[in-house]
Amino acid sequence: MSLARRLFVGSAFVLSLIGIVFIYSASSYWGEVRYADQTPFYVKQSLYFVAALIVFRVVSRMETLQHKKWWTLLYIVSIILLIGVLIPGIGVWRNGSRSWIGLGPLTFQPAELAKVATLIYLSSLLANRKRGEAVIQLKHFIVLLIPICCLMLQPDFGSAFILIMGAFALFFIAEYPFKFYLLCMLGGAGALAALIISAPYRLARIKAFLDPWQDPLGSGFQAVQSLMAIGPAGLFGHGFLKSRQKYLYLPEPQNDFIFSILLEETGLIGGVIVICIFACFLASGYHLARKVVYMRAYYVIVALLSMIALQAALNIGVVIGLLPVTGVTLPFISYGGTSLMLLWFVVGVIYLFSKMTMRKEEH
Amino acid sequence: MKWRVGESKRLRIFIAALIVYGVIVVVRLMYIQLWQHEELTKLAKENWDREIPFQEQRGDIADRHGEVIVTNELAPTLYFMRSQNKDVASVARQLAPILKVDEAKLLEKLQRPAYLTKLAPEAKNLSVEQITQIQQLQIDGLYSGVDYVRTYPYGTLLSRLIGFTGSDTQGLAGIEYAYDDVLTGNASAIRLFTDAQGKKMEQTEDEWRQGEAGATVELTVDLALQQIIENELEQAMVMYDADQALALAMNPKTGEILGIASHPTYDPAQYASVDSSIYNRNLPVFMTYEPGSTFKIITLSAAIEEKVVDLKDEFYDKGYTMVEDARLRCWKREGHGHQNFLEVVENSCNPGFVELGRRLGPEKLLAYIHDFGFGEKTGSTIAGEASGILFKPEAFGPVESATTAFGQGVSVTPIQQVQAVAAVINGGTLYEPYIVSRIVGSNGKVLKENKPRAKKRVVSEETSKIVREALESVVANGSGRQAYRDGLRVGGKTGTAQKVENGRYKDGDYIVSFIGFAPANDPEILIYVAVDSPKSHLQFGSVIAAPIVGHILEEAAPILKLPYATDQLEKKFVWGDEETERMPNFVNMTVEEVTKQFYNYHIHWYGDGDRIESQLPAPGQLIKQDDAIHLYLTN
Repeated sequence: MSLARRLFVGSAFVLSLIGIVFIYSASSYWGEVRYADQTPFYVKQSLYFVAALIVFRVVSRMETLQHKKWWTLLYIVSIILLIGVLIPGIGVWRNGSRSWIGLGPLTFQPAELAKVATLIYLSSLLANRKRGEAVIQLKHFIVLLIPICCLMLQPDFGSAFILIMGAFALFFIAEYPFKFYLLCMLGGAGALAALIISAPYRLARIKAFLDPWQDPLGSGFQAVQSLMAIGPAGLFGHGFLKSRQKYLYLPEPQNDFIFSILLEETGLIGGVIVICIFACFLASGYHLARKVVYMRAYYVIVALLSMIALQAALNIGVVIGLLPVTGVTLPFISYGGTSLMLLWFVVGVIYLFSKMTMRKEEH
Repeated sequence: MKWRVGESKRLRIFIAALIVYGVIVVVRLMYIQLWQHEELTKLAKENWDREIPFQEQRGDIADRHGEVIVTNELAPTLYFMRSQNKDVASVARQLAPILKVDEAKLLEKLQRPAYLTKLAPEAKNLSVEQITQIQQLQIDGLYSGVDYVRTYPYGTLLSRLIGFTGSDTQGLAGIEYAYDDVLTGNASAIRLFTDAQGKKMEQTEDEWRQGEAGATVELTVDLALQQIIENELEQAMVMYDADQALALAMNPKTGEILGIASHPTYDPAQYASVDSSIYNRNLPVFMTYEPGSTFKIITLSAAIEEKVVDLKDEFYDKGYTMVEDARLRCWKREGHGHQNFLEVVENSCNPGFVELGRRLGPEKLLAYIHDFGFGEKTGSTIAGEASGILFKPEAFGPVESATTAFGQGVSVTPIQQVQAVAAVINGGTLYEPYIVSRIVGSNGKVLKENKPRAKKRVVSEETSKIVREALESVVANGSGRQAYRDGLRVGGKTGTAQKVENGRYKDGDYIVSFIGFAPANDPEILIYVAVDSPKSHLQFGSVIAAPIVGHILEEAAPILKLPYATDQLEKKFVWGDEETERMPNFVNMTVEEVTKQFYNYHIHWYGDGDRIESQLPAPGQLIKQDDAIHLYLTN
């Protein structure tokens, strides 16, 4: 393994371990109170981690997966699964949305797979553009909109949002003109204005984001509780397992707000270290992307990395009050089996595609 | 051919954006965790803490010797943590009969969605029996917070000065109100560590936050003297069936208030059932009325200070005097006839004082009245003090000046009169009256000590001495005779004022008063007593108020250690008085000598022998003719 690959896989590994450790800490009380009769979260996450590593091992060596026909197939399968999830009897209703496919005790979120499959399929399409062909093509949007619509129906706005963000990052890197993004921003602002005018309660939501202290027990609750975890921690934090906010003050602390607990227990130092590991993961990943010679491989790596980067940025932004609460998890660290396995699937895919340089050199 | 890889300008822009965002995140983290650290820590603590307050004791109120007048009694209050008890209904069922409240209402209170519910007023200030019963029930989530109620060892004594506290021991009237800040302590608390739903966390220790008990307010009042004063007022209220009565005693050399009383009194523990006009009005500072003749002391002092009169000057009173077109009568219709000015004072002769006012002139008289502190609050810090009403200088013509000279047409408070007369008799310095001598913290540290505060010099030492002697003469020879006490050298002045209602004098309704002090050569105590609307055929200060002051001074003398004076003015004998004489010195006389010379005395002999070893009463004491004399014999 080259140094870049070692750093890439190593930082993902370290982040996953940090995840298990802080799932243990963050969920200790919540799990006891709310899921007393279940296997502890950190045990489940550890098992998923082992499975995830196996997935990585298998995928990273399955060179046949480099072929694009498999991704067209996977895209179609994920769309079928997304539609299947909406059918009662197949889809499992959980936390107010139908996002899961259940087979006995094993449940699985097709949304995670759909995000990856869509981005990789899009990468193929973008890489396939011939010289002189239009940069912006309708089929890109059709490919993107089908899973988005399915996700909205579940509803799973978090995944839909991440997919859109990832796709737009990919389009950007694939030379979509700046004018397109300018128009998107104008359109977005216009849509936001229209939404606010049509339903004034949305203005209250925005106000709650801008000043969560106005309604610390209502709309600003999570934001305020997160700040009350982070602020008192100071430079070094209260120490491992010493979080106060995990005692039911922050809901589901092992999930979206795990970074709050991490910051609470390890302080600014711990937070910066974790951000640095993420940076290392992304930097080595992008480095791998720049080494590949195939456009398709380049787009695949960049799209998948950017999706993870945006998801992490979004989650951290919410935790520290920079962004409104959206319900997005922190990759590798937040609790979630499907998510972890899929992340390692992605790591495997990136690893696999990064090898497309050497083969070229071999030839 | 596919597009060339390596044209990664777009990727660089994207990565640059990610780096900028990362920097923003770290800066924001530093802002929250370092800059906002303190502020958020405070907020988070409020969020985490569940405190059960333990009321620290309110400070005592004590007299000048530290004798406690108001203190506290333990009376716990219940708190309930709903999350610690699943069976709220049974809690209500068990508690309701003990607290004697409606079970349904109690249940409603217990079910309130709060982390910690104070069960007030249902379970506030419980008795010892109630709390023992409740403790035996061992109800989860029920805590008893230490709480206190005020208790009054002396009952109604001083109640109209002290005031009372409300249901949360906050001062609502009197000293309790005026000194609420220093009397109130900081509550202690048990701090519980709980999760967001108020459930106690097993592994944590409860924390105790120490509060501080309130400070003790020590009054200048002497409790023994106060008891004497209140007993006398109580008797007068009964004897004369008066509407109300008041007394104010002060140390004229310092301004310390030694006693202050208003009747009727009330029980501060039962304030809710008392009319607010009783507990809100501390009469010696609240009441304003025409002072009547006691005010003549001011006129007299001013006239002597301005040297417009010598007490030996002659004056003829024909029973009235004319000022412009107004005919001002003397209280004695037929007039006092020919007198010198000392006799004018002794007789409290109105035309005589009109003459003094005329000699002073309106400006000077009014200036002295202001100098003596009338027309403004004295600064006593006693709640509810009034300023009184004086004539405006432009409305103060000859007639107003003339009536003011004998105490009519002005409206003053008793404490103003006491403050002014104290200045007259103490050598001429006006002192600010004060009621709180010290404030002592719960740790024994003196937080504040009030010292006498001289406002200004009003008259000279010499004037003061002349007026003191004149006032002693009033008691020995004049209208204040009933306040005379042998050996005490009582000085004073009577006052009788018609009450004013709707701007007109009310016929037959008087406030009778007397202001007296002792000893006249060096006054240690000054007492003012007023009785409002006594139902007596003789509504005069000389008849009703003077004897009260006499009694108080007589009983106060041993408390204040007043010396027995020998160089006193002898009381003038008036027909109807009992004949008195001074006790001879029998010591060392033989039995034979005594029986020969003093056969008309009632002598009781004790012991054997032929010589007198000691005697009771002591030589020089005033005795009445039929008083018993006790002689102790020896060989």
